[in-house]
Amino acid sequence: MAKKLEMNRRRFVGSAAATGLATVMPGRAAWAQSDMELVHWSWLAASDAEVWGKMIDAFNEAHKGKGLQIKMEVIPEEQYVTKVNAAAATGRAPDFGWGTAGVRAKMAADGVIVPLDDLADKAGLDIADFDAFAIKQARYPKYDNGLFMVPMDLMSLQPEVNTDHLKEAGYDPETFPGDGKTMLEWADKMTKRDGDTVTRSGIMMTGSGVQPTVTWGIVAAQMGFQRASEDLKEAAVNPEAGIAAMQYVLDLFDKWKVSTRDVTDRYKAFGTGQGSIFWTGPWTLNGYVDQGLPFRTYLFPNIGGTQKTYFEMGGMEFYKQQDESRYAATMEAVKWLSDNSFLWTTVGRGASPRKSILNRPDYKTAGHPWEIRGAFVDGMSFATEGEIPVLAGPDFTIYSGGNYLAKTLETVWAGLAKPEDVMAQIKDQWQRGLDAG
Amino acid sequence: MADAVVVDRAAAAPRHARSLSARGDIEWAGYALVAFFAVPFLIFNVGPVLFGIYVGFTEWGIIGSPQWIGLENYRTALADPWVRVAFVNVMKYALVIVPGVTVLGLLFALFVNQSWPLSAVSRTILFTPNVVSATVIGLIWVWVLDTQFGVLNHYLGLIGIGPIKWLTSVQWSLIGVSIASIWWDMGLAFVLFLAALQNVPRDLYEAADIDGAGRLAKLWHVVLPHIRPTISMVVTLQLISTMRIFSQVYVMTDGGPAGSSSSVIYYIYKTAVQQQRLGFASAVSILLFIAILILTIVQRFVLRETARG
Repeated sequence: MAKKLEMNRRRFVGSAAATGLATVMPGRAAWAQSDMELVHWSWLAASDAEVWGKMIDAFNEAHKGKGLQIKMEVIPEEQYVTKVNAAAATGRAPDFGWGTAGVRAKMAADGVIVPLDDLADKAGLDIADFDAFAIKQARYPKYDNGLFMVPMDLMSLQPEVNTDHLKEAGYDPETFPGDGKTMLEWADKMTKRDGDTVTRSGIMMTGSGVQPTVTWGIVAAQMGFQRASEDLKEAAVNPEAGIAAMQYVLDLFDKWKVSTRDVTDRYKAFGTGQGSIFWTGPWTLNGYVDQGLPFRTYLFPNIGGTQKTYFEMGGMEFYKQQDESRYAATMEAVKWLSDNSFLWTTVGRGASPRKSILNRPDYKTAGHPWEIRGAFVDGMSFATEGEIPVLAGPDFTIYSGGNYLAKTLETVWAGLAKPEDVMAQIKDQWQRGLDAG
Repeated sequence: MADAVVVDRAAAAPRHARSLSARGDIEWAGYALVAFFAVPFLIFNVGPVLFGIYVGFTEWGIIGSPQWIGLENYRTALADPWVRVAFVNVMKYALVIVPGVTVLGLLFALFVNQSWPLSAVSRTILFTPNVVSATVIGLIWVWVLDTQFGVLNHYLGLIGIGPIKWLTSVQWSLIGVSIASIWWDMGLAFVLFLAALQNVPRDLYEAADIDGAGRLAKLWHVVLPHIRPTISMVVTLQLISTMRIFSQVYVMTDGGPAGSSSSVIYYIYKTAVQQQRLGFASAVSILLFIAILILTIVQRFVLRETARG
């Protein structure tokens, strides 16, 4: 049996010692003695990718002639983990790449991603400047509570609303309902129908995939459903709320008729005016602004009893290297990207996890207008539905179109299974996932 | 006389072999020429297939070594409802796509073979979809089959039909994907049939004319029997291709809704590439291989029996 990529404490101490030796040597760091090109893998593909490309270009420009450059390669998101694992298994992993907090427990267990506490410390990355919640999300308690990611942005799902549709229905774009009942009334007025067929969705939904899954996840959480108990021992706490949330999604299609299952591409549909209210993330902003779509973003309403929404944190993770001296250079580059992430968190996506950036006087006036990105920053206060940090974490995520949860819920949306039966299936599967650790 | 030839050859072969071994003279040039094909074939085809068979008996997620678990992956696969759905779906795809491609390919080949006006242009047009990538075909057909804005529903609406939810309902999604697949795959069948039709001897038509056969009689009694091997080949190739349907499913419906348009290869892709369950995915691959093998043998047997009958 071949050994897995081990990054246990002893080995980490060894690698840290080597890294430390390299970084404390007088003069230039070891990596700077000759030109080094860091390989960076990214799966960003929405309109935020363009902004991230500018960030990398800015780094390369700032480091021209200084011996350190970044080469970015784009990998399809759904193949990302497999390709990183394959590259790591052959000793040719990229130096660093984009990760999502909470879903990489398996990679941490396998030693594919490496802990960063000591590297950050040695590079002078000011952890205290990061939001405490962000740093907590970047750690895996089961793996020495190590920091496995340098947070780059904090994201939440909030409703983007077509302001032309609002005005057409006689509503003032300066306000938006804070409760589910009023929002449904607004959505109903903005919905266009041909007989019983919805031809323009008041609430943008798809018949399968991400949108109904994440809607269910948010509404269920608002109604009191928990995917896992706080101690990660019990799955699907308060399943009745989960069942009620499934009914809510079904009612959007069949009872209130403010959504249609006929939309296949939600981003394109909202961009072409086929929908009025679309809860999505800040990664869409750049594209819709560029195309001149008239829209504003508001806070996610309280539909189920407690205002909550989906939370996601993106950041940089480091992959296992045979040449451990590369870690220091990588941290140097990531520190620069984090320190200079003002553009990324005002135009690219999300709220900044750095207090020093959030507190800048121009944070609200720079980049995209505050009325379209403000909700993504202010809404972080109730964005609590993140990932479940267990090996089977991907099965739990509510922002997925193809994981176990999404595929199982699809049978409800398609009318092939009853919410009660599906809830029981999900509870069983999730419980097995929690039991596996 | 024939016996004498056989005896001569039999006698000659050992003599030649003896002379080679006696001189230690091996035809390295021959091996080298064969190696251009054989070595890559062994490395990139045979090797991965054997490794895949082995991985099917293990639990493996790329990192670390495969852990031998015997038949567990096969037990899990046979009990997995999504695997069952995927296999049933590819059978349905085969029932729609194989006859669709075969019949339409043959009809268009018959049309072009008549050398009627526009038949030369039709030959190019009909084959063109086959050289376009499946991704492009999928994206085009997503637009064509859109429930609200698709051109197909628009024209069906003019005659009072629809709107049909081609890609967004469990009842129609498989049909929607099949339509795109038939359009994509038909070009190859068309070309094969056209080549076969052009090989039907003229004197058979003339004999049929003398016997007073009409167009349909000539098609039934002259053309179809003559191109039966091509029909068999098209059906076999299309059956194998359809059982492995992936790109159209991936691009057009992502297997949904609720797995109604999923396929076995799509499911293998999901479990292997997205979930890193390579052992399980390999086991499902082997099951698919066995299914294709059985169906191909049965289909060849049936067509051969029909030919004899």
